[in-house]
Amino acid sequence: MADEVKLPRLGQGMESGTIVKWLKAEGDQVEKGEPLYELDTDKVTQEVEAEASGVLLKITVPEGEADVGTTIAVIGEQGEDVSAVKAGTAQPVADAAQEEGSPGPAREPERGREATAAEQVAEARQPAQGNGAGARIKASPLARRIARERGIELGSLKGTGPEGRVVAEDVERAAASPAPATPTTTLAPTGEVERVPLTSLRRTIARRLTEAWQAPAFQIAMSADMTRTQSLHTLLAEQTKEGEPRPTVTDILTKACADALMRHRAVNALWAEDAIELHPSANVGIAVAIEAGLVVPVIHQAERLTIAELAAARADIVARARANQLRQDDLDGGTFTISNLGMFGVEQFVAVLNPPQAAILAVGAIERKAVPTEAGFEARPLMTLTLTCDHRSLDGATAADFLRTVKAFLEEPGLML
Amino acid sequence: MPELSYREAVRDALSQAMRNDEDVFIMGEDIAEMGGSMGVTQGMLEEFGPDRVRNTPISEMAIVGSGIGAAIQGMRPVVEVMYEDFLTISMEQIVNQAAKHRYMSGGQLKVPLTIRTQGGAGWSPGAQHAQQVEAWFVGVPGLKVVFASTPSDVRGLLWSAIYDDNPVIFFEHRTLYGLKEELAEEIEPIPIGQARVHRQGEDVTVVATGRLVHEALAAAEEAGQQGVSVEVVDPRTLQPLDEDAIVASVKKTNRCVVAHEAVTRMGFGAEVAAVVQHQAFDWLDAPVERVGAKFTPLPFAPVMEEYVVPHATDVLEAIQKTVQRDGSS
Repeated sequence: MADEVKLPRLGQGMESGTIVKWLKAEGDQVEKGEPLYELDTDKVTQEVEAEASGVLLKITVPEGEADVGTTIAVIGEQGEDVSAVKAGTAQPVADAAQEEGSPGPAREPERGREATAAEQVAEARQPAQGNGAGARIKASPLARRIARERGIELGSLKGTGPEGRVVAEDVERAAASPAPATPTTTLAPTGEVERVPLTSLRRTIARRLTEAWQAPAFQIAMSADMTRTQSLHTLLAEQTKEGEPRPTVTDILTKACADALMRHRAVNALWAEDAIELHPSANVGIAVAIEAGLVVPVIHQAERLTIAELAAARADIVARARANQLRQDDLDGGTFTISNLGMFGVEQFVAVLNPPQAAILAVGAIERKAVPTEAGFEARPLMTLTLTCDHRSLDGATAADFLRTVKAFLEEPGLML
Repeated sequence: MPELSYREAVRDALSQAMRNDEDVFIMGEDIAEMGGSMGVTQGMLEEFGPDRVRNTPISEMAIVGSGIGAAIQGMRPVVEVMYEDFLTISMEQIVNQAAKHRYMSGGQLKVPLTIRTQGGAGWSPGAQHAQQVEAWFVGVPGLKVVFASTPSDVRGLLWSAIYDDNPVIFFEHRTLYGLKEELAEEIEPIPIGQARVHRQGEDVTVVATGRLVHEALAAAEEAGQQGVSVEVVDPRTLQPLDEDAIVASVKKTNRCVVAHEAVTRMGFGAEVAAVVQHQAFDWLDAPVERVGAKFTPLPFAPVMEEYVVPHATDVLEAIQKTVQRDGSS
């Protein structure tokens, strides 16, 4: 008996998804648990695994958007009759050319389709510059991995290894250099306006942030003296074992926020229209910039994690965010968000709410500033914290109390104990 | 702590096992009165008598074959094949008999046999007495293969080999017999299948066996002078292989050199390179470099022999290749 593959509901509120590409062709043997196709929802692009083993007899939705529950393919035994299976009600996005194509050795059209998908990826990754169409970039596996993890375009680098091979050091040098040259050098052709079609991620960002704009928001700001946090950071970094992610100041900040949220539960809140939900755990979202836009993967129950565990969790989600491998549950359940632009030299900024969360913390760079002391002035590393709050859930005094606790934790991390 | 040479360390493991256990005995060509062609078993006839220190006819097939028989009957024989080149004559016994009995009898038979042998170049023994053939045996399921490079390793591993219930081919290197090390009286067994990190480093991992461990250590010293930090790992047991230790090291250094005295082609290092590229692919910043003998029978003439087998300079060159940028820059 053939199994119909139906478009799954991967998260609450998901109504439809866009099939980006099939990883198997009709006639291929498929094992249960093997990645079968790539699905683009309004939050992530992910590989969906087969739920049955057998031969992929028919793909009814080759590409494009389909509603949840639509039959998109059939898996069964070789030679099984699948003519009775209705084709899914899909709206193919681009080349609807091959529909019921010959199920036999459909090698040619299939290769054509793969090429299209590969080109799309290449286009998305590669700014319109140099490096020869389709030319293979010589890079060591390590260099490729680092580039992938940090979202660096290999084609933009000059390799210094044998025969121009890009080695890890080249990627690291590029990562360390301040302004990534790639995006700024993409000049639009003069005289023409370039229309960039919206990806579903971009559309989601636009929709959610417009929603957020309608909430009555207010901001409060404080500066924290980061002297002790920095020495704690140095200590933790030194103690980090080989192969484990080194904790960053952000990880200590996440810890401080999670602990402060447990002491000020009114801030760890979601606006539910008819009520305010106070949550028992600090599920802290970390805003991560990726090529396609912005995602906010969540570290769940952050208050239970040590700084080392937070560092591991952060390294994991950030790496997967950049590799486009987040799962739906990485994005669900956030109760608070941290957005850090300190690494870009931003001194302070105001973040837009991440509804329905009651608050989001915008973090600036640590800067040495003159601070008056009894003896005169002293240079101290200061960091500005700006909390944007949803006034429907939260009032100024409550927010200030919370922010004061975060500041106190950063200035004396021992208080978190 | 007494200082023991590699040769004395082998003898110490044999003697202590024989004192400890009636089931252990040794057998081989000229091992009794003469004390073995390399002098390893000198004095053992006097202590243990001719029943337990047995001279054999010049037939490697008979030596290994009777060892297998004794092992199946419950003894723990240690047989000596004078040169590893001569293992060829006992190949049938090792590959088709010793390695297979436990499997083919459904576990009813065990073959706790240790086959000691030695070889290697460096003293002009010529093409039939200088080969390194360890890799042949790594490809035979049912065998364990040990290649120890220091007195402490050779003693601790030989002990474990004797007490292993499977046939173990135990390689010694001719040029290491004089190597000395202070060792405790009591033998500390070294588990089969555990690598040893001889030296910690950050930039390149050299996985070396036998004599090349010492060449690698010398190369590492030299590389250190040039600012390249080298980690030297000796697997010690070639089968089973401590893949975790090797992979962990390469993940740390991102570069790998494999080094042995045997020919590079189909050498043990090829297997290590395959393991590394598969398990540490995303950590590699340079191709794995291989160091081994040139692909030719070993010449008798000393200068020619020296030219064919690898030395510290070859290891150093390979290390530099893995860290070097484009030769011109």
